[in-house]
Amino acid sequence: MSPPTFHRILIANRGEVAARVARTCDRLGITPVFAVSEADREAPYTRGRDRGRDVVVLGPARAAASYLDPVRVVQAAVQTRCTALHPGWGFLSENPLLASLCAQHGVTFIGPPPHVMALMGTKSPAKRAMRAAGLDVIPGSDGPLPSAAVARRVADQVGYPVLLKAESGGGGRGMRIARAAGEIEAAFADAQAEARAAFGDDRVYLERLIEGGRHVEIQIFADRHGNVIHVGERDCTVQRNHQKLIEESPSPVLDATLRARTLERAVAAARAIGYVGAGTMELLLDGDTPPADAQARQPGAGPSNHRGALRFMEMNTRLQVEHTVSEQRSGLDLVELQIEAAAGHRLRLRQDDVRLDGHVLECRINAEDPHAGFKPSPGRITRWRLPDAQDGAIRVDTHVEEGYVVPPHYDSLLCKVIARGATRDEAIERMLRALGELICEGVATTTPLHQQVLRSDAFRHHRYDTRTVPGWPQDPNH
Amino acid sequence: MTAAAPGGGGAGSGGRRHGPTLVAGLGAHPDPHPALDWIVMCSPGVGWWRASVAPGQLVEPGQLLGELTVLGVVIRVVAPAGARGRVVADADQGRAIAAQAGNPLLTLARGDAAIEGATAAHGAVATTAAAGLTIRAPSSGRFYGRPAPGKPAFVSAGDVIRDGHTVCLLEVMKTFHRVTYGGDGLPPQARVVSVAVADEADVNRGDVLLDLEAVS
Repeated sequence: MSPPTFHRILIANRGEVAARVARTCDRLGITPVFAVSEADREAPYTRGRDRGRDVVVLGPARAAASYLDPVRVVQAAVQTRCTALHPGWGFLSENPLLASLCAQHGVTFIGPPPHVMALMGTKSPAKRAMRAAGLDVIPGSDGPLPSAAVARRVADQVGYPVLLKAESGGGGRGMRIARAAGEIEAAFADAQAEARAAFGDDRVYLERLIEGGRHVEIQIFADRHGNVIHVGERDCTVQRNHQKLIEESPSPVLDATLRARTLERAVAAARAIGYVGAGTMELLLDGDTPPADAQARQPGAGPSNHRGALRFMEMNTRLQVEHTVSEQRSGLDLVELQIEAAAGHRLRLRQDDVRLDGHVLECRINAEDPHAGFKPSPGRITRWRLPDAQDGAIRVDTHVEEGYVVPPHYDSLLCKVIARGATRDEAIERMLRALGELICEGVATTTPLHQQVLRSDAFRHHRYDTRTVPGWPQDPNH
Repeated sequence: MTAAAPGGGGAGSGGRRHGPTLVAGLGAHPDPHPALDWIVMCSPGVGWWRASVAPGQLVEPGQLLGELTVLGVVIRVVAPAGARGRVVADADQGRAIAAQAGNPLLTLARGDAAIEGATAAHGAVATTAAAGLTIRAPSSGRFYGRPAPGKPAFVSAGDVIRDGHTVCLLEVMKTFHRVTYGGDGLPPQARVVSVAVADEADVNRGDVLLDLEAVS
């Protein structure tokens, strides 16, 4: 019998996120209280008050007046007698103000301490902390730049092309590329203006632009007692406009020595900054397109001894959409670990207890039309059938059911399909079977894109980086 | 952000801290009545709600309805445009209650004398029977003969009541509605013969609540 945690947890999120967190709450006998906007008050997951679920309405559909308002969210937790709050991912999950308000009002925030969130939320201090902890970082300025003239001096040192980035940025905004000294001034001014408009902070820093890299990230977990483990890495290189489409673990191209060294240093770095809970170090695997012999190798023949550096980009101080990939490889429930860590428990497993088996792939199925420029496709789902579980090899995380209306106010994720196999090829084959069985009518989905990617030679033979979607024609504006 | 400045909302600070003023939303009445033109005002957010208007009070657009306390910050909630009428319902007067966005806070009867006029205009509510007068329930709900437990009854047998006198409260879908005597076709005053319903009994629309007789 494990020690007690919480009776009621406020879930400050919606959709697939809320459904995912609630599933663990149900299993642990905790009442999940869904803080919803008026647009989501009838969402399928909010049902079941008779079986220990509850709902509190925050405000209008507009996220700024509901899901993004930390004051409303914490008040909702207090007045519904929740003693803990799970922020999920997206919305306020990386907002230190929410964590501080929780602390002030006696609600346990399920996440890291506010000062660690603040440290990792600003790019330069995060980078400095990671470099001090032994991780490689992308060369660039030591903190925000006071002027375009200083930017040019730094750029001359690190070498062109360079990327000017917003200190408080994210989501691809507040970024400008300068390919030569003459472009610095305009790029600096544009990045500054965009950063001011988007984030209310016009500080800009500079990094060498690494083109053609792969996105690799490390799942970290820490308790409040200084115990830190990793749950392996994930490769999220298949992206479109900085939006991840497919995630997998292990990374099919990462050199074993580099993997082991980086995992170890990421754990040390998390311990050094006093991290608590689930977090992800995002890294860039540089080096240009894979070696020419990659084409000759057998698909799925294992790590290709990819040479290059794995450099820290940023740390996400929350669980991520694709945490499911690590769960399916390790058999762990990361939401359960989060709840236990927030309650002050010691981690119940050491690094040696974490077993990472086989190969896992995840496809994010969005309500977007891949044949019409990925136009969002809200509306009513008239028919909905989930694929066969294939003896537990397939997991589907979703909040959708037949008749559900995808609201136009929020993101377009319908479900995540996660497939496990002994090898990458087996996971791909199982995924293709599952995607073929998934039925969704009424809205357009990105399923055809995933099928095309998974079948492509480029994907099977690792001939892609973050700039191109393997097996999919390039966007005309790219 | 609705209420506090960043870093705000702290409990335990001295004095009351005020946030911006918010306008109540307009909602539909859960049990519409053809004769009663109800305006339901809804909470604009989450918080501890305390009404500052009393049943019977006349409310105009922009008028303060009450306060919503959100993480220790007091937000004034005012009546929206078009909300003009008399307060007929108040779920829990005086005590702060937990309100969610969209929860009904107050109900107004449109105009000055909507309920009085309605009782007379519709025979279902007040009828002049051969043997005397009756007041019937304008809606299904729970009958309350007194304003609060332990308080004197609104009316007792033998009382003489006049236009506007409160006869009872009806709780309909968690909101309280005041039923008053008066209107066209009714004598200006009447004597209560009997209260036909036990306190806190559930009644159906049209049930006799009071038997009356005219007095000159």
